[in-house]
Amino acid sequence: MVISRRALIATGAGAVVLAGAVVVADATHRLDDAADAVGLRPKARPVRSDDALIVAVAKDQNRVLSAIESTAAKHTGLGASLEPFATIAQAHVNAVGGPSTVPPARPVDADPVVALRTLATTLSSASTARAKDAAKAVSPDLARVLSSMSAGLAQCSRGLGALA
Amino acid sequence: MSAVSAMQQWLAVEHEAVWLYSLVGARFSALTGQARRTRDAHLVARDDLLDRLHKAGAEPVATGLSYDVGPLKTQDEARQAVRDVEGRIAAATLALVGEASGATRGLATTALRRAALTDLAWGGEPVAFPGLP
Repeated sequence: MVISRRALIATGAGAVVLAGAVVVADATHRLDDAADAVGLRPKARPVRSDDALIVAVAKDQNRVLSAIESTAAKHTGLGASLEPFATIAQAHVNAVGGPSTVPPARPVDADPVVALRTLATTLSSASTARAKDAAKAVSPDLARVLSSMSAGLAQCSRGLGALA
Repeated sequence: MSAVSAMQQWLAVEHEAVWLYSLVGARFSALTGQARRTRDAHLVARDDLLDRLHKAGAEPVATGLSYDVGPLKTQDEARQAVRDVEGRIAAATLALVGEASGATRGLATTALRRAALTDLAWGGEPVAFPGLP
């Protein structure tokens, strides 16, 4: 798998910290120039367990994006409704390093209602997985990103369920 | 910021949420049921935080007599006020995620997800990163 270990790391302590900040760790564990550009305080270097976690999350989030895109392709009438969810899934993928190689998406059900419910279940499972990942993260900032991602996926799952 | 101070910030918003949902439920009959259910969930969260802070040897922040949430003359204003408080709970819980580990981090992650879903139930739309600025 070719994937950078770049991860969007933004802190979320209300108005007190780093609004809109992005910390990027590159493959040599140095802070990216982007961190300097936004005036971030120095961050601890990522640990190897976090690196592996980011790679696994990237793979799973690419799978989620692929599932949404496959559903939109199969049911073109749902395209506009699914677009906001695809945008969110793409943001999640970008946050953990961008595209990675994933197995082909599972066939999409011919019934759009079933397809939407399946998609809602896929995102719900990903939400649960990201919450577990957040518990495992060593970096506090990575934990925040994964926890927030879990919440966003839960919203998407609920929203897709409402469409079905 | 320590985990205790992050919990204190979260508790301060939970106090406000309990107050706000009571007000919304009393003022708008069409929202009474939903407001009551949501307030009850916040009461549980507030009491849990009070318990945790007492056990940590901290003096929990007190509730305010009232809060500035705007005029709340319409249901739309009430929904917006509710969504604002849920957004601040999401931010507070996300802060705690980074300050805590183990069960406390899990508690904060669960609460963040609940705040995000409550925002949805009161008219919000899904976003990629609830709680982040």
